[in-house]
Amino acid sequence: MGQPPVLATGSGGAGVPAIRAVGLCKSFGPIRAVDDISVDLAHGRIYGLLGPNGSGKTTLIRLLVGLAAPTAGSAEVLGVAMPSRDNLRRIGYMTQADGVYPSLTAAENASFFAAAYGIRDASAVAQALDVVELADRRDAITATLSGGQRRRLSLACALVHRPPVLFLDEPTVGVDPLLRIQFWEHFRTLADAGTTIIVSSHVMDEADRCDELLFMRSGRVSARGTGAELRRAAGTDDLELAFIRLSEGPEVEP
Amino acid sequence: MSLRRTQALFRRVVREIRRDRPSIALLFIAPLVVTGLLTFILREGETPTIDALIVNQAGQPGTLVAAELTRALEAEGATVQAAADEVSARTAVADESATVAVLLPADLATAQPPTITILTNGLDPSADGAQVAAVQRAFLAVVASAANGAPPTIEHTTIYGVPSSDPLVAFAPALVAFFAYFFVYLLTGVSFLRERTGGTLERLMATPVARGEIVTGYSLGFGLFATLQVALLLVWVIGSVQVPSIGPLPAFAVGLGVDVAGSPVLAFLVVVVLALGAVSLGIFLSTFARTELQVIQFIPIVLTPQFLLSGVLFPISSLPAVLQPLTAIMPLTYAVDGLRQIFVRGADLGIAELRFDILVLVAFAIGFATVASLTIRREIA
Ligand SMILES: Nc1ncnc2c1ncn2[C@@H]1O[C@H](COP(=O)(O)OP(=O)(O)OP(=O)(O)O)[C@@H](O)[C@H]1O
Ligand SMILES: [Mg+2]
Repeated sequence: MGQPPVLATGSGGAGVPAIRAVGLCKSFGPIRAVDDISVDLAHGRIYGLLGPNGSGKTTLIRLLVGLAAPTAGSAEVLGVAMPSRDNLRRIGYMTQADGVYPSLTAAENASFFAAAYGIRDASAVAQALDVVELADRRDAITATLSGGQRRRLSLACALVHRPPVLFLDEPTVGVDPLLRIQFWEHFRTLADAGTTIIVSSHVMDEADRCDELLFMRSGRVSARGTGAELRRAAGTDDLELAFIRLSEGPEVEP
Repeated sequence: MSLRRTQALFRRVVREIRRDRPSIALLFIAPLVVTGLLTFILREGETPTIDALIVNQAGQPGTLVAAELTRALEAEGATVQAAADEVSARTAVADESATVAVLLPADLATAQPPTITILTNGLDPSADGAQVAAVQRAFLAVVASAANGAPPTIEHTTIYGVPSSDPLVAFAPALVAFFAYFFVYLLTGVSFLRERTGGTLERLMATPVARGEIVTGYSLGFGLFATLQVALLLVWVIGSVQVPSIGPLPAFAVGLGVDVAGSPVLAFLVVVVLALGAVSLGIFLSTFARTELQVIQFIPIVLTPQFLLSGVLFPISSLPAVLQPLTAIMPLTYAVDGLRQIFVRGADLGIAELRFDILVLVAFAIGFATVASLTIRREIA
C-alpha cells in the first residue's frame, strides 16, 4: 500500500538512532508528567508506548515532537534536535484528540494537512484516504462522520506526507476490529519500508504486534522489552496481567 | 418537577460560573467600569479650549464690539486674538491654530440686523457645536450690555463640509469604522479559539507551518470577508438607490445616502487596514479566553472603552483630560479621524493628517500581527 516513505536521513547518518531522548523531564507544577527519560529508538521499528492513564505517554510524545518545552533534557528526531520546525516535515503526529476541522470535508481536511506539510500532489491525499478506507466518504462533512471514521481521518492526516517517523497517540480507539487489523498490517508495511513508529495504546493484542514495548509509570519508562520479555519480567503469560502487575507492583528493572 | 433534579442543575450552574473568573468579572465588574467611565466622561468632560480670532471688517464702529466680545469670551475662559483679515483667519482655523473665528462685517453699523459669521473647522461637528455656542453666549452678553438695536444674525460656516447639514456625515464614518472593527474581532476571536480548543492548533503546530504563516493566512481569510463587509457597509452608507413605487408600495430609497466629500475607495482602504488589525487582535485576545463566551467578555473591556473614547460619540477634546492620552493608543481613534478627513474634508493622500492616520493604522496592524504570532508560540509551551 502506497509508496515507501521518503527516507530522509538528513544530518542523521546510519549510526544515529531515529529518536533519542536524553534526561527528558516535563513538570506541570508539582506533577512530574515526564521524569528523566533517556531512550534511543532504532529506525524501522514499531515501538509500543504502554502505561496507565496519566503516566505521561502523551506528554512524552509532545516533547519528542517539540510541541512542549522540556523542563530539562533534550530530544532528537532523526539526528535533529527538537523543536525544529524544518524537521517536522519528516514527522507525522496523530494526536489523542481528533484535531480535524469539523466543517471541512474529509478530503479537504487531508489536503489541508498535506499542504501544511508542503505536499501538493493530490494522489497523496487519495492514498491516505484509501489507507483508512474513507475514499467513499471523501466528500462528507467531517462533523457528520461517525466517531471511528473521524479517528480514521485523523490518522490519514498524519500519514498524508509519508513521514519517516510517526507518532500515533492511541490511533485505534473507536476503530472496529477488522479495520484495526488492517491498520496494523499497514503500520507493519510502513515499518518494513523504514518508517519508525511510536504507538501509544491500551489494547494488549496491539501491544503484541509491536517490535518493542516501553512501559511507562509516573513519568518514567519503568520497563522496556519485547512482549515476551515483559511477560517474563512480570512473571505471567498474560500480557494484560503483566500490564496490571507492572502498573501496581514494585518497579521492575528492565 | 423534581426538586432534587432542579437543585442539582442549580448547583451545577453556580459551580460553573464560580470557577469562570472572566464571567464573574463580566457580571459584576464590567457594568461598574463601563457606567463609571461614561459618567466620568459626561460629568468631568473638559470644557473645550477656545482659541478665538476676531476679524474686524467694520473699521471704527467694529472696534468697540470687538473689545466687548473679547471681554465676554475671555470671561468664558477663551483666549482671543485679532486677525488682520478673513484669509488669515481661515488659514488659522484650517491648521487648527485657532478653534473659531468671528467675522464682523463691513456693514456692522448700518445693516438692520447685521450678519456676524462664525467660522469653525467642520471636521467634528459636535466639537464645533461647543465653539459656536460659546461665541453665541458671548454675543448675548455684548448685546445685553450695549442694549442698542436688534441682536445680530449669526451665521455659522465651516472650512470643511457644510455645518449642521446632515449629522450622519460626521457620524457615519465613525460607525463604519467601529462596526467593521467589532465584527471582525468577534469572528476571528471565536474561530481562533475553536482552533485552540478543537485540537487543530496543536496539530497545526506539529506541521512545518510557521506562526507568521498562520497569522498571515488568518488575516487573508478573514481579511477577505472583512473587505466584503466593509464594501457592503460603505455602499449602504453612501449609496441611495431610489426604488419606484410598485403597486401599493410607496417609493422608497435603499441606502443611507450620506454625502462623501472624498474618495470612497480611500475610505474603504482605511477601514480594511483597521479590520486587518482587528484580525490579529482577535487572535491575540483569544489566548486569554477558554470559551467562546469569554471572547465575548472582552468586548466591554477592550471595545467599549474604544467606542466611548475614540471620538465616535464624544469629541476627543471634550473628554476628561486624564483620558485624552488614552485615545492616542486606540486604533479606532485614527480610523475615525481618517474617515472624517475623507468624508467631511474630502481629504486625499496629499493631506498630511490622513497620511498620518493611515500610517498609524498600518503600524497597529503590523504590531498586533507580531504580538499575535508571538502568543501562538506561548500557548504551545
Ligand atoms: N497541560 C497540562 N497541564 C497540567 N497538567 C498536565 C498537562 N498535560 C498533562 N498534564 C498531567 O501530566 C500527567 C501525564 O499526562 P499525559 O496526558 O501525558 O498522560 P497519558 O499517559 O497520555 O494518559 P492517557 O492514557 O490518559 O492518555 C497527568 O497527570 C496530567 O494531568
Ligand atoms: Mg494520552
